Amino acid sequence: MKLKRRPMKADVPSTAMGDIAFNLLIFFVILARATDDSHLQWNPAKAKQLEGVKSSRCSVLIDRNNKLYLNGREIGQSQLSQAIDDLLGQAPAGQRTVLLKVHKEATAMYYEPVIEAIAQAGGEMVHILDEKR
Amino acid sequence: MRPRRTSKFLIEPAAVATGDIAFNLIVFFLVCASSEPDSGRRQDLPSSEKTKQEQKTDNIEISLTRTRNVVTVNGDPVRFEELEGRLRRLLTGKRRPEDRVVVVRSKPDTPYEHWIEVTALVQDLGASITIQREEERTVNVGP
Repeated sequence: MKLKRRPMKADVPSTAMGDIAFNLLIFFVILARATDDSHLQWNPAKAKQLEGVKSSRCSVLIDRNNKLYLNGREIGQSQLSQAIDDLLGQAPAGQRTVLLKVHKEATAMYYEPVIEAIAQAGGEMVHILDEKR
Repeated sequence: MRPRRTSKFLIEPAAVATGDIAFNLIVFFLVCASSEPDSGRRQDLPSSEKTKQEQKTDNIEISLTRTRNVVTVNGDPVRFEELEGRLRRLLTGKRRPEDRVVVVRSKPDTPYEHWIEVTALVQDLGASITIQREEERTVNVGP
């Protein structure tokens, strides 16, 4: 007697959908982190009368090891002005905001050339700080 | 009399939904984290040509060192607490923008938190800042 083979059901288990979505999300989060500076370590200085910053063209950061970053990527002081200039392009006044994030203990030897570079590139500098209470 | 009906069934959330709950929680926290606004102080940087015209020899000059307590104003050491009063007196009567330029010189070991505290004070008094670096290059920072 010949037995009839039962057709096998090959469905993607719906239980795994959540896990797939979760892993996709982690992937994109890691990808996004590579272009911002939220993974860098710095402590902002404190000041009064701060204003909110809505949008910015680029972000310059000096971390606690005095390393310089432009949009989360390490850069040399000598290349900074040109790099900011490239990012700002022909943007009109009011849309040339450059965020400056400096670790509170960084010394003038490191932050003054950066301020100078932003000025040379025609950036509208905003010092990112913590509110002093 | 009719006996009251009570349900004693154990109700558990479906295990299938755990992944979706985790996903939604992550999206929620991501949105929260990304919407946190930055706050700071704006410093406008006028072109260097403009500032060269504005800069005069009798500008107020502030020298900063690593020590927070003492700031030098026009060569005189001033306690930080007295700096605002001193600057206010020096700026009195100066109405033109070119007269209200304050030259800030910093020793290479001046910490940023000290620098921003002093420059913010100068800006709040309506003056503009010129940074003078050790090698005599100047950067101008408006109010």
